[in-house]
Amino acid sequence: MEIRAEMVANVWKVLVSEGQQVQDGDTLVILESMKMEIPVVAEGSGVVRELKVAEGDVVQDGDLIAVIE
Amino acid sequence: MSNEPQTDPRSPVVRLTTLFDPGSLELISPIDDCGMLAGIGTISGTRTVAFASDATIQGGAMGSVGCSVVVRAYDRALLEGAPIVGLWHSGGARLREGVESLDGVGRVFAAMTRASGKIPQISVVLGPAAGGAAYGPALTDVVIMAPAGRIFVTGPDVVRSVTGEDVDMERLGGAEVHGRRSGVVHLVADSDAQAFEYARELVTLLGNHGKFGDVPIVDVDLAGCIPDAAKRAYDVHPLVEGILDSPGVELHPKWAPNIVTTLGRLGGRTVGVIANNPLRLGGCLDTTSAEKAARFVRMCDAFGIPLVVVVDVPGYLPGLGQEWDGVVRRGAKLLHAFAEAVVPRITLITRKAYGGAYIAMNSRALGATRVLAWPGAEVAVMGAVAAVRILHRRKLAEVGEALRPSLELELAAEHEKISGGIEKAVALGVVDEVVEPSRTRTAIAEAIAAAPAVRGEHGNIPL
Repeated sequence: MEIRAEMVANVWKVLVSEGQQVQDGDTLVILESMKMEIPVVAEGSGVVRELKVAEGDVVQDGDLIAVIE
Repeated sequence: MSNEPQTDPRSPVVRLTTLFDPGSLELISPIDDCGMLAGIGTISGTRTVAFASDATIQGGAMGSVGCSVVVRAYDRALLEGAPIVGLWHSGGARLREGVESLDGVGRVFAAMTRASGKIPQISVVLGPAAGGAAYGPALTDVVIMAPAGRIFVTGPDVVRSVTGEDVDMERLGGAEVHGRRSGVVHLVADSDAQAFEYARELVTLLGNHGKFGDVPIVDVDLAGCIPDAAKRAYDVHPLVEGILDSPGVELHPKWAPNIVTTLGRLGGRTVGVIANNPLRLGGCLDTTSAEKAARFVRMCDAFGIPLVVVVDVPGYLPGLGQEWDGVVRRGAKLLHAFAEAVVPRITLITRKAYGGAYIAMNSRALGATRVLAWPGAEVAVMGAVAAVRILHRRKLAEVGEALRPSLELELAAEHEKISGGIEKAVALGVVDEVVEPSRTRTAIAEAIAAAPAVRGEHGNIPL
């Protein structure tokens, strides 16, 4: 399952690491945009196979944030 | 009709019987092979007209005679001022009849449009609904999709032969497509039984101008529904449910989730709630959420349903994608919808309302009946810190990096006092009253009760 950015944003906090087990609804990353902290949540349970962002990165709309298997 | 119309679960008699209150169905068209059946009955006591396509004959294809059955059902519903429910399972116009069936389908569309905004129209898609049978539901107020429901203009076979694209019915027009991506479907049901239950609930909420017996308002403290930190995102659903007597029916829950549109009851009366959801896209307005909300506002206005607008919005979503998608044109629909609406419409600003999105979310200037705000709410062109970064750019550049953050905060506090604070908004008259979260339900209900019960005179074009 690919988790993608819904909007242009700064990556404020990364809360998971590759190989970590996550549950549906867990917050993976917190983005910062439009003066708001916007959580990016897992839309299913699994293991974080890839994590494509680091704190301080800028993501564009549609950019890959993580892959969960 | 097929040989065993009473036992085939696809039979229109069986489906209409399931929809209505037990024993209340009275057929208003003959049982024959025209492919459509219409009846009148009650739904939780509300007199309602319904029609169903007959999936047991030619896959429910619509012929000229069957289309006349639907048109007559519409005439009857308009005459009685009753809601109308369509049960769809149809491949579209009957091929064999040629242009005669197309003419019939066109007459159905015209009947639906004549009734638009006058009586609530609800569609339940129980099986494939293609071509004319796709646009039929699309012209109505609310579309409900059952698990076997599929909606598309052209089926997989035609798509394959014309473009070579290989897709199945579900990918072309299933629940995932229309519930999440296209916005064609308002409600996706887990079972046929749930689809019928949704239709019954909506008839009750939208019928009879949403009037019910009075239920005393019990105030609850809603403050806990939003976080203390101003930048923290949260799910607005608990707040919406807290305002309503009971959870209500959320339309389009997965499409444009950054705005929530829910029909429910407050003090026993139907209301439509529109709420920014900061959990998604920070609660920003964008092209799809503006269109979704605009259509909901116009539907509620047409049926005399008061609006409760819960505002916590950082702005319109900026960027290339939005501009190219027509955020100016599509966002304007929400401005138009609110400014045009005559039903009581109450705004509650919980945390912040910035910029153009402040105006769009049923502001005083657009004609809000009453604008309420929670203590500490911010109404401004933009956030105070962002504003002073522009207004005091030079001053901030001069002080150097070490002192800049503290100066920013100092200037922001000062700026808030003179331009953005809620006291200023009250003094200007753009906010009528600062209410405590613990008194909010009463304040909203009183404002609705004090306004005249009127309804907009316009159709509900599927924006």
